[in-house]
This record gives sequence, C-alpha cells and structure tokens, in this order.
Amino acid sequence: MNRRTVRNWALGLWMLIVIWAAFFYAPAAQGFKGESARIVFFHVPQAWVAVLAFCVNLIASLRYMRTRDPLDDARAATAARLGLIFSILATVTGSLFARVMWGSFWNWDPREVSIAILLLVYAAYFALREAIPDDERRASLSASYAVLAFVTMPFLIFVVPRIYWSLHPDTIINTRGSLDMESRMFQTLMGSLAGFTWLFFWLYSLDVRLARVKIARQAREGE
Amino acid sequence: MRRSSLASETAAVLAKELRSELRSRVALNAVGLFALTTLIAVAYQIGPYRIHEQDRPHLLAALLWIILFFAALSGLARVFVKEEDAHTAKTLRLAARPLAVFGGKLLFNLLLLLALECCIVPLYLALMGYAVIGVWGLVAVLVTGSLALATTSTLVAAIISRASGSGTLFAVLTVPIALPLLVVLIQGTRAAAASAAFAAVLPALQAIVSLAGVQLVASLYLFPVVWHE
Repeated sequence: MNRRTVRNWALGLWMLIVIWAAFFYAPAAQGFKGESARIVFFHVPQAWVAVLAFCVNLIASLRYMRTRDPLDDARAATAARLGLIFSILATVTGSLFARVMWGSFWNWDPREVSIAILLLVYAAYFALREAIPDDERRASLSASYAVLAFVTMPFLIFVVPRIYWSLHPDTIINTRGSLDMESRMFQTLMGSLAGFTWLFFWLYSLDVRLARVKIARQAREGE
Repeated sequence: MRRSSLASETAAVLAKELRSELRSRVALNAVGLFALTTLIAVAYQIGPYRIHEQDRPHLLAALLWIILFFAALSGLARVFVKEEDAHTAKTLRLAARPLAVFGGKLLFNLLLLLALECCIVPLYLALMGYAVIGVWGLVAVLVTGSLALATTSTLVAAIISRASGSGTLFAVLTVPIALPLLVVLIQGTRAAAASAAFAAVLPALQAIVSLAGVQLVASLYLFPVVWHE
C-alpha cells in the first residue's frame, strides 16, 4: 500500500471513530430534547468546513489575480463547490435540530438567515461562472466576485447573529469567551472538527488533481 | 499633481454620466418609476391602517428599504452595461484611469440613489403614515446606506457587464452581498423612527459605515482587475 492509500484508510477509520464517539462515548447534553444535541458533532464541523472552504476560495482567488494560473481558478471553484455542499449539509442538520427543539424546520433565526445568505453567495458565484464562456475572463471575474463576497462574510457570521436575539444555542466559544461543554463532548467535537477538515482537504485534493490533469490535457491539445 | 489629475478625470467621468443620463433618462425613469409603482402598490394594499401598532416600527422600516433596494437594482447596473452595449468601453479605458472611471460611476450611482430617496422617502412617510422622530438619524442612515449600496452595486455592475445575461445576473449577484447591509439599514431606520436621540442610530451607523468602508476598499482594489479583463 502506498502512502496515499494509507492516508485514505486512516481518514475512513477516523470518521468511523467520530461517529461511534458521537453516539456512544459523548454523554447526552442537558437542556435539550432527548438525544437531539448529538447532531452538534456533525452540524458544527459542517458549518466550520463551509466557512473554511470560503477562506480557501478567497486565497485561491487572490492567488489567481496574481499568477493568472488556471489551476488557481480550479482551486477556487473546487473550494466553492465543496463549500456549497457543506453549507447545504449544515443547513439540513440545523433544520433537523430546529424541528426537534422548536417544532419547525425553519424559524428565521439570525444564524439560519446567515447560512442561507452564504448559500446564496455560493450559488451566485456559480451563476456568474456559468454566464461567462471565456475561460480567462470567467476566472478573473469570478475571482473578483469571490473577494467582494468574502468581505461581507464577517458581518454575516459575526455581526448579524449578534444584532438580533437568537434561538440558536450558545456557540462553542461563547460571547463571554468561555467553553461551556462537558470534556467528553468537547473531545468528540474536536475529533469531529479535525475529521471533517481532513475530509474537506481530501475531497479538495482529489478535485484539484483532476483539474490539473484536465488543464494538462487542454494544453497538449492546444499545442 | 497626480491627485488633482485623478480628481479631474473622476469629475469628467461623472459629468459624462450626468450628461448622458440627462439626455436619455433611462436609469432615472427605470429607478423612479419602479419605486413609484411599488410604493403605490404597497400604500394601496397595506396603507397606514392595515398594520398592527406593535408591528409598525419594523414592518414600515423593512418595506421602505425593500422599495428602495429593488428600485435601485433596476437601474444601477446601467452605468457599465451601457458602455458595453454602445461599444464605448474601450474608448473609456483609453481616456481615463480605472480608479477615475470607478469613482465617476460610483458618484453617479450615489447621486441617483440620493435623488431617488429625496423623492420616494417623503412620499412613503406621507402615504404610509410613518412618523419618524429622529429625522437627522434617518438622513444619516439613508446617506451612508446609499454609499454602501452604490459601492457594491457599481463593482457588481462592472463584473456583470462582461458576462452574458447581465440584466438578471445583476440582481442574482448583488442581493446576497447586500443582504447584511439591508438588515442593518432596516435596524437603523427603525431606531431613527423611534428615537430623536442621534445615539439611537449610532450602532447601526457604525455597522453601515464599516460595511461601506470594507466594500469601498475591496472595490478600489478589484476594479482595475475587472476593468482591464
């Protein structure tokens, strides 16, 4: 087995341990209906990866503006695609939790609105890419839009949820700067965060490798 | 020397935009009539008496900004789309530096928004029976909000002018970016309506000015990339 195969198996094993820990190692949280709070071990890492993907998209977009390398554009698009998928997953898991806790899938909570706007931003990014047939122009204009969209993100993630009263449970590190979580739950959550981050970079590297092959083939065909 | 040259080029682009708009009045008609039609529809269907007293502060502030925001979306993209349609963008690239073009177009969009607000806001207050206690607070929210909205929409207009299907794309790209601003603008308008103290709108003003600031800096950095693409 080569190193890549070992890493892939290790990721699979790690995610299995995270799933086991989420259901059997971590205790049930107090103040929540039944076992509903266990969804935090999947919902929070998915939301974190959605934001991480947005950051990777920004870095790749800025790199593209400097280098004009089509691979950087592919990196930005891949990060945005994965960000969109993880945003949808975070929205779905959040809605399931809302249904159990508050009786409705959607409550127009500021955090729900924030993730919905994040989804719209990602969708708009792809709408723009689809509307530009020329490769270089598409890369350049979508990179510009990605940077402009990113500067509003701190307002979406940090300002808007704090302007309005929210149903959403306190974030892991709350406004008082303290950690309100039982140690086994915290260990499981950290393990899940690491696992989902690893999963994101694995998916990202697969897609970027594929894009590299496509770009090389296009270059060969162009010669 | 360089600064005055940039300022004069910006003023020239703004003057060209104003002359061109006063000649055709396309953006003025689109924005003004859209806002007026929406306002009449809202006033006719809802009016001053069909909203419960406890819902009035939030609903009236939200409706005002929905009218202004979507009216703005109908006309702000024109500054760049018309250059591509008329094939004058290349000449403009040769005639002025990118920052002057962006500055001129941004100022034009800002003036268009302020003109729209001068006409629509008093009408809205009268037709909807919306009593605003903090008038100067509302003026500050309207002016800073217009600057933030004009900044975002001017750069997005430059982006979509180079894409196909630019009319629909403008709304698709602008709405997600402008939504946080819209939330804060509604918050600020609500605060201005409820209190005469300028301090009541300060938290919203800080958020609006911060948003306008970061978007302006990002736009100044990004516009040369978009313009020379």
